[in-house]
This record gives sequence, C-alpha cells and structure tokens, in this order.
Amino acid sequence: MSNPSPSTRGVTIAFDVEEIRSHFPILHRILPNGKPLVYFDNAATSQKPLAVIDAMSDFYKQYHANAHRANHTLADESTAALESARDRIAKFFGTSEDQMIYTGSATEAMNLVAYGWARYNLEEGDVVVTTEMEHHANIVPWQELSRERGIELRYVPIDTEKFTLDYDAMEVAIQGASLVCVGHVSNVLGVRNEIERVIEMAHSVGARVALDSAQGAPHEKINFDELGVDFCSIAAHKMAGPTGIGCLLVRSDALGEMGPFLTGGSIVKRVSKEDTLFQEGYAMFETGTPRMAEAIGWHAAVDWLEENIDFDEVHEYVHGIASWMATQMREIPGITVFGNPEMEESIGVVSFLHETIQAQDLGYLLDAGGFAVRTGHHCAQPLMEAMGVGSTNRASVWFYNTMEEAEAFVSHLGNIVDRFS
Amino acid sequence: MPDGSEWSDEIEEIVDRFQSCFDDMERLELLFEYAEKHPSTLPMDLWDDENMVHGCQSRAHVVCSLDNGGGFMAEGGADAQIVQGLMAITAIAVNGQSPEDVANHDPSYIEGMGLSRILTPSRANGFMNMVRKVKEEASAMM
Repeated sequence: MSNPSPSTRGVTIAFDVEEIRSHFPILHRILPNGKPLVYFDNAATSQKPLAVIDAMSDFYKQYHANAHRANHTLADESTAALESARDRIAKFFGTSEDQMIYTGSATEAMNLVAYGWARYNLEEGDVVVTTEMEHHANIVPWQELSRERGIELRYVPIDTEKFTLDYDAMEVAIQGASLVCVGHVSNVLGVRNEIERVIEMAHSVGARVALDSAQGAPHEKINFDELGVDFCSIAAHKMAGPTGIGCLLVRSDALGEMGPFLTGGSIVKRVSKEDTLFQEGYAMFETGTPRMAEAIGWHAAVDWLEENIDFDEVHEYVHGIASWMATQMREIPGITVFGNPEMEESIGVVSFLHETIQAQDLGYLLDAGGFAVRTGHHCAQPLMEAMGVGSTNRASVWFYNTMEEAEAFVSHLGNIVDRFS
Repeated sequence: MPDGSEWSDEIEEIVDRFQSCFDDMERLELLFEYAEKHPSTLPMDLWDDENMVHGCQSRAHVVCSLDNGGGFMAEGGADAQIVQGLMAITAIAVNGQSPEDVANHDPSYIEGMGLSRILTPSRANGFMNMVRKVKEEASAMM
C-alpha cells in the first residue's frame, strides 16, 4: 500500500477494535488533566471487560459465601462457581482441572515451584538454571533456595546484539541441571523465547522445566498438555481477569512429587496435636479461604476472550502496532529502542530511553499527554544490568489499543523530545 | 487552594509563574527550567546512601546544614529534571529559615503551583520524602 490509511498504517485488523473497546469502560476515561486515556501499560496489568466486572459484582450481590465449608445454598453455589471456574480455566489452557493450582499471582506460582517442588526434590549441589532475562519472580525464589539448600544457580546470558537468549550458552548451562526456569515472553523486551526448544533441551538432560507465562499467556493461547512443560505460572490480571489470582499448571507426575508450601486450613484431611494429614493433588496447596470472586472473574475473562478474541489475529495486530511504533520511535532523535519489537516473535512491548531526558521525567511527560506507560527497572534488574541501563520506559500494547493511539503516542513523544531535550 | 499568606515573595512569584501555565506540559516545562537554572548544589561524588532520598525512581540526594548565621541550608541534586526542579524550589522555600520554621514547613505551594495532582505520594517521585527528610533533619538541629 503506497499511502496507508492513518488508522491502520498497513497493520492488519481482522476484528472490530471499536466493538472490542466498547466492552472496556475504563478505556473511555478522560483523565483529570483533560486528556483521554491511552493505556499502554498492559504488560503491568490489563484492563477488564464489563463481563468480568459484572461477574464479580454478581457474586458479591447474589451468592457470596465461603466455598468448601458449609451446606447452605449460598455456600453450595459459591463452591460450584469456584470449581466450575477451575475446570473452565484449566481447559482454556489446554489441560484438566486436576493439573491446576490456584495461586495469588504468577509470582506466588513460581514460589510454589520453589517451595512446593524444589525444596522437596533438590539437595545441595543440584543445579537450577534460570536466565538473566527473567522477571525477579523467576530469580529471587531460586536465589533464596540456593542460599537455603546449597543449590547451584546458573544464569543463561542474553545475546545483547539480538536481545534474545543465548541458546548456545543455555546448551552448556543445562548440563547436569535438575530444573530449568525460563520466561515465556520478556516483560522488558517483548521477545518470545524459544520455549519449545528450551523444553526439549531441558528434558533431554532429565531436567524439569518451569515456564513463567505471566507475559506469554495474554498473547498466545497456551496448550499446556501439548507444550509438555512441567510447571507453568500465569497471572489472571494480565489477561483481562482480576488481580489477586493466578495459577500454577503442573504436570500430574510433577504434582505427585510436591509437598505443602503454605499450610493451615483447607488443605488438610485431619489435624491432631501431633500431626497433620494433608489433602492430595491441587487441594494440598490452596490454603485459607479460596479466591472465589477472583476465580469467578477469571472464569468470565476466559469466556470473554474465547468469545471475542482470536489469539493469532491478536498477535498479528498487536505485533503490527508495536512494530510500527518501534520503527517510528527509532526516527526520533535521541531515542533508543531496546530489543527488536519488529521481529515476528516479539509481542507488543516497546522499551525505550531518551539520551538526555531521564526515564522518570519522560514518564511524567508522557502522562501529561494522557499516555500510561511503565517507567523503571520492570522487576528485571539483572536484565537492565546486561543492557547497561538502570531503567527504561515501556509502552505495551494489547488488542484494544488502536493505531490512532500509537500515532498519537509517537507524535507526543516527538513533541516532548523537541521541547525538552 | 492555599491562600499563600505564609509564602515568601520568592515562592509567591514562583507560584504565580506556574499558575499562568496553560497545561501540565507547560508546568513540567517550567519545572525543567528551574532545574536548569538551579543545578545540583551537591557535587555528584557526595551522592551517597546516607543522603539518598528514598521512594524515588530517580536518584535524589539531600544534605542539610546550618550556615554561619544559623540559617538552614538544604543542598541537593537529582538525575531527573523534575525532581531537581522541585529540589531547587524547596531550597528556595526553606533556605535561610530557622530550623524550627523548616521543621514546621508546609509545602502547600506545590498545590498552588498546580503540581499536586502530578506529585501524589503514590507516584514514587520522592518529593514528599524529600520534604520529610528536610523537615526531619531540621528537627534534629533544633
């Protein structure tokens, strides 16, 4: 196309974005400074469709009661909704409900791997491999375990030219490993790692694989059983669901090797003064009052996604917008874009810095134009160190963003650079 | 909005300048201008953990002392221009005052400047922490 429409810039739109946006009331908000909101902080958390808000509200209005604890009508309805959500969410991720444990977050899910599996199966001298591209949630639990148990922790470096994992280094690092922990998609660079290759490599040396899919699940339909990964952590709030809930998907054989992490009520069959007999399977790990409203909200979110979103179309669309933004932003004097958002495997994230306008200042200046972006180290300080920076600004795109928003963003960024550098 | 009756003439003038701004972008531009005109009075080699302002995404440092006449002196620097600008204005507001006055300092001029929405404590800009640090150090000098 020689003169692409300003609304598409050649990006394929296979769905009605305005119709999709109509499900998200917050996207129509006018900010206190009079600017319409442009939400480009989706990698931090996504916005929620009305279906999710209504489902959670309906629970509190109509059938809120503590699940798994009583025989009255409300408790029965609440329990049924909680378990129906588990079944639905597990199926959405291509597995069965007996391989899914509700957690409070993806971070908690990764801690569950560390304290519910690794602490029961690894000992001094065993090797855990992670990468310097990871979110702190996939680093700190392993550091703590390493200190506690004398486990050897190895880091796979990134290739700072291509901004991908150094797979040659990974081949070496995984030799003798018991567990390989890798991110599905980098929250800073947006690069989708070659997880199928990592899983194959790790399994070939007998290591289990823990996949941090906090950033992958919102952009790619996960089929857990087909993927063959042993553990997979997911956060609901990054994929149209509520905050406060996530899950760990666990292969049944790995689940059989796990022991309790957080202990207390709900996860026990019997408690005496001397001893406790724990429940089995996922029930061993969901202590305390269940996250009922959150599970119901997440159920509504996956229903809504299934009904309204084709993940392949979304990838093409989101990648198209982020790729266009990155290309345009590289033309703005002084702007450096990190990673390679134009690469086909990249997913909707553009991390950038200006050479003289400090990242926090730039975040404020973007906010003054109504643009919500993240500023900071993105809980990925080892990656920041590898890139030689302390922080970046990050614009992250999801399917409800539009090319008009991307154009306005690039234009505002250009104005900032003109005025403030 | 505060009535400004307690502000010095210098602060009053600053507030007036900010109030004449058209929008947040202009206000931030003016803050950048103050940062440029008032660069860090604390050499970067003196920026250390002890004088660091916590809760700020950027690096910010403040050192407080008394001048020969017993007047309060806040010297500081930040790598973000917005924080540097705020630090410069805070120094204008408190420097030369008695420690007692600084300990009771009310940064209401921020609201008068139209920056309170931008500088909410939850935005991790460190401004309120910087003011708190200045006031605590002034209290310790009393």
